[in-house]
Amino acid sequence: MDPRRAETGKNSDQIQSGHVYHLALDIGGSLAKLVYFTKNDEHIVGSEKKKSPMKASGISNSSRNSPVLNGRLNFKKFETSKINDCLEFINSMKLHLGAISFQMIAMVMNAGCQQPESPGSQTITIKATGGGAYKYADLFKEKFRISLDKEDEMDCLVAGANFLLETIHQEAFTYMGNQKQFVWIDKNDLYPYLLVNIGSGVGMIKVEGDGKFERVSGTSIGGGTFWGLGKLLTKCKSFDELLDLSYRGNNRAVDMLVGDIYGGMDYSKIGLSSTTIASSFGRAISENKERDDYKPEDIARSLLRMISNNIGQISYLTALRFGLKRIFFGGFFIRRHPFTMDTLSVAVNFWSKGEAKAMFLQHEGFLGAVGAFMSSDKHGLKELLANQKVERPPSKLSFSLDQTQVPQQDGELNGDESIECSVYGA
Amino acid sequence: MATKGSNSIHRSSSRPLLDLSKAEIQGNVEEKYPTILLPNQSDDLSHLALDIGGSLIKLVYFSRHEGQSTNDKRMKILKDKLGILNGNRRSYPILGGRLHFVKFETNKINECLEFIYSKKLHCGGWESHHSDSTNDQNAVIKATGGGAYKFADLFKERLGISLDKEDEMDCLVAGANFLLKAIRHEAYTHMEGQKEFIQIDPNDLFPYLLVNIGSGVSMIKVDGDGKFERVSGTNVGGGTYWGLGRLLTNCSSFDELLELSQKGDNRTTDMLVGDIYGTDYPKIGLSASTIASSFGKATLENKELEEYRPEDISLSLLRMISYNIGQISYLNALRFGLKRIFFGGFFIRGHAYTMDAISFAVHFWSKGTAQAMFLRHEGFLGALGAFMSYEKHGLDDLMVHQFVERFPMGAPYTGGKIHGPPLRNLNEKISWMEKFLQKGTEITAPVPMTPPGTTGLGGFEVPLSKGSTLRSDASALNVGVLHLIPTLEVFPLLVDPKMYEPNTVDLSDHSELEYWLTILSEHLPDLVDKAVASEGGTDDSKRRGDAFARAFSAHLARLMEEPAAYGKLGLANLLEMREECLREFQFVDAYRSIKQRENEASLAVLHDLLMELDSLDEETRLLTLIEGVLAANIFDWGSRACVDLYHKGTIIEIYRMSRNKMQRPWRVDDFDAFKERMLGSGDKKPLPHRRALLFVDNSGADIVLGMLPLARELLRRGTEVVLVGNSLPALNDVTAMELPDIVAEAAKHCDILRRAAESGGLLVDAMTNTLDGSKEKLPSVPLMVVENGCGSPCIDFRQVSSELAAAAKDADLIILEGMGRSLHTNLYAQFKCDALKLAMVKNQRLAEKLVQGNIYDCVCKYEPAY
Repeated sequence: MDPRRAETGKNSDQIQSGHVYHLALDIGGSLAKLVYFTKNDEHIVGSEKKKSPMKASGISNSSRNSPVLNGRLNFKKFETSKINDCLEFINSMKLHLGAISFQMIAMVMNAGCQQPESPGSQTITIKATGGGAYKYADLFKEKFRISLDKEDEMDCLVAGANFLLETIHQEAFTYMGNQKQFVWIDKNDLYPYLLVNIGSGVGMIKVEGDGKFERVSGTSIGGGTFWGLGKLLTKCKSFDELLDLSYRGNNRAVDMLVGDIYGGMDYSKIGLSSTTIASSFGRAISENKERDDYKPEDIARSLLRMISNNIGQISYLTALRFGLKRIFFGGFFIRRHPFTMDTLSVAVNFWSKGEAKAMFLQHEGFLGAVGAFMSSDKHGLKELLANQKVERPPSKLSFSLDQTQVPQQDGELNGDESIECSVYGA
Repeated sequence: MATKGSNSIHRSSSRPLLDLSKAEIQGNVEEKYPTILLPNQSDDLSHLALDIGGSLIKLVYFSRHEGQSTNDKRMKILKDKLGILNGNRRSYPILGGRLHFVKFETNKINECLEFIYSKKLHCGGWESHHSDSTNDQNAVIKATGGGAYKFADLFKERLGISLDKEDEMDCLVAGANFLLKAIRHEAYTHMEGQKEFIQIDPNDLFPYLLVNIGSGVSMIKVDGDGKFERVSGTNVGGGTYWGLGRLLTNCSSFDELLELSQKGDNRTTDMLVGDIYGTDYPKIGLSASTIASSFGKATLENKELEEYRPEDISLSLLRMISYNIGQISYLNALRFGLKRIFFGGFFIRGHAYTMDAISFAVHFWSKGTAQAMFLRHEGFLGALGAFMSYEKHGLDDLMVHQFVERFPMGAPYTGGKIHGPPLRNLNEKISWMEKFLQKGTEITAPVPMTPPGTTGLGGFEVPLSKGSTLRSDASALNVGVLHLIPTLEVFPLLVDPKMYEPNTVDLSDHSELEYWLTILSEHLPDLVDKAVASEGGTDDSKRRGDAFARAFSAHLARLMEEPAAYGKLGLANLLEMREECLREFQFVDAYRSIKQRENEASLAVLHDLLMELDSLDEETRLLTLIEGVLAANIFDWGSRACVDLYHKGTIIEIYRMSRNKMQRPWRVDDFDAFKERMLGSGDKKPLPHRRALLFVDNSGADIVLGMLPLARELLRRGTEVVLVGNSLPALNDVTAMELPDIVAEAAKHCDILRRAAESGGLLVDAMTNTLDGSKEKLPSVPLMVVENGCGSPCIDFRQVSSELAAAAKDADLIILEGMGRSLHTNLYAQFKCDALKLAMVKNQRLAEKLVQGNIYDCVCKYEPAY
């Protein structure tokens, strides 16, 4: 280990809450997601986390003799189009060095480990997934001599979702009519389920167990469509701005409703209420109205409803086809945006005639990154979990949400989030 | 007299009776003579139905066939004779008619109103001779679509008709069911620009998924007539395409937006799998060109809307929406276990790219196990359904074999895109055709002659003012006029009517199509000359001849461009289209005088020929007779090669020369098998056939020197003979109407023929003459004549006249003669009885293709009953 680098790493402690030990990346079409592990300093744990249910103590009883690192998993995202910001961040946080230091510490802590090679001229390898892991591989190599170790995207997604659903209490929840309700899921009754990952496009994955899954469907109408069309139709500068707009809009201005066709009456014969959308954007065909005559809010709202509704429908039909009783929605499109979740839920409810419910994940958006993080088994998270499962009820697991750092209020999640956890230096 | 009695019964049953069901007194019952309303009185009811949608008005109307022309009288007498003789010939009501399909733009509803007015569709139907004002007042027209509500007052005010609103979905389903059951090859698939027509067994139609893509999308599970359920749908439909398209481009019409998409490249707007992975993602079976995210690329770039090409945006939108509809449709079909998915609605409009996109999606998501299907009349489902909702239209139980689709000039271009002025009569049609301009193979449609705002034949685009060509949208299918001929039946001797395909030559092969289109094109001037000459070369006939040439050239040009324009195309259809086109311009019988001349010349030498034949022993005679049929078949005006021959000799010379040249073995030679069936081998004498159907071909030597002597031989052996002739003229083919005269002439030379013809009721006048001496002679087996129900040089055994079908019931031998009936069609047809197919191949290409031989090779194909 290069001492000088270690020094600079220390300096950066001012802006982070712990020492970086591990990093994984998920570079999607629109967003780049980072998951990294920081070790808690003792005083931080003491001051901030007094009531936190974690800890090393809980694990020390385990049969394992390996040392335990207490710390947290951190989550951060960047727009892929601003990949340089992401690189800057990694650089400024020395995350890439953290990656090596984790490995080294782990090795040092392991009895009988060999001396690590000097990393001075060595290329550092970090786990990455998402299409961008290929696309930006050269860029990472050039700038930081980081070689991206590509993990399959879907493997990562599923591994991430399985991990979160199995271990994190209150990971899954439903959202209907502004009511968020956590759903406790029996780990033994989790599979099979449908995982709908809404990124730029939408992947629908039938998950039957760890590493047992199949991409069974998908649609090209996803987050990229919302943001892409939204960008062209409004003057929005960011995805979040567009989401914000949609919250204030009214889709009646642009959508053709059943009532528009049948003169304000329900078409009860086929069970459609007059407010059902008959045709998204079906009213935007008036000859004397131009694009600027429509409110961007209304357009954003209509877009969001169109896309959410469609995803909800195809998801339900796909779940039905494979006899899956649970549908989990994840991916950056949702962003815990209440309206998005609400529309998805309404769609699933509508098409299933109330028989199915849409569920969401607290960490949607980071499934891939978590999966990539998990893919290197060095930190032994899974084994830890396996042990914990035997010893403790789920509520006492070492992994819990760090409530103080999770913004719950709205969709404005800037990617700063963390999970308190303990990791073995395997 | 028995004839008369049967005739009158026949007539009374053919006349539509008053339908008294649902009769009620209209108005004040206290009145002395209240009007009685007969809502189900089919004769008075205007058979018009409307589907008034947001952008298009679709009109379906029914017109009665004009009554049989008076010069058919003679034919009728003969028919009645036959009816008695056949015994089992049914009497049928002649309620045939035509179903017409017309479109108008909704925003030009005036054109529609005036069209209805000018055709008197609002009062008692087509060309009604008894439309009185009371009918006008009470007319109730079935209508569907949103506009049925919106424009109800307008229709009342302008035409005095009330619109009776029918439920949209009911109509859609009724229309689709009708089309899929009654129209042959209504459904087709469309993959990568290739259309393939599909025949669906009406008994195996249900259940299916009907996806109607309007502004939104409805998915309807159809289990039977009137049995259906809307099971799903999506709000991402045609309205989304047009709405988003309008916001994103400056297009001013839906069609313009569609047009743009054809020149688009969605890679500039869509994020493809390749954009994300830089390559394929084979693990999950996605190729690099798969769209990962529609419009996803727009998120990666800082480009303004104006920097994107509207073409690309349109294509991206179209793919997004089509793929999505295809996917959701497939999932629903799967969910309900439906094996067929039909797509319809205004979004499709026969637009090739839309259909391709939907087909691709269904194929992709079903991994090739499901296919998207489309309907030729897709725009008319609702209107047809509304039409079907009349309680008395008599169309409920119609079958595929009772419809014949024709493409008169005008109709193809109204059902398609090009439209012209109202064509109320032939003169106007000709005037319209005269405005057509031909440059090479391209026919340019005329600018409407009538000022805009008067009447028009409809159509939803007005490309005329831009001087556009006939081809318009290359992918558009034409919708013809459906001729309803209730008397048509499936020929009962077909082994497997479901598998039967009349055409031997498949024109879906492009070079094949090109060849035959060229042949027809080259033959055209000669045909026009003949046609004009047949009418004495008057100025009027010249003018009609010219119009016919333009019209037929336009058809050919259209087909060259879009072979599927008129549905599934076989050589038989092409040949029939020419005959229909001639009739459309009132050339009743272009070869009339030629036929007469040749008949006379042949009859003159018949006696010598019969003498010659009678001098031969039985075996030699049979061979000579077959040789004679083959030799005489050379006289065919449909063959270019034979037309050239004519200039080189007289009929009998050619006949003898050609018979002498007959060298066995012929190219296809089953004569020995046929001979064994006829004469047996050794001591075994087989029973003669009970009844033989002889499908005759050309006039002149062919019938007189070829088929009649063969018929005579069969009669002599105690086999009943039915000569089957065309109902309407086609080229120089002999018609059923002409046959009795020819037989009567021939009978003068031959006792066998005379007695058989008498027995068959063909010799009306002669009958009384021979009454006194009849007891001395043995009663002969009859020689009869029936019409085949068509006016084409070919024959489609799925649609034959009921009298032919009746005659077939006792038949155990069929002899098909000539290229049209035994080569172009039916070469591979299988029959339940013995069949002999005889023809001389008078086309080099056909000879090579079908029998690996050369021009003038002969085919003598004998197939015992299957």
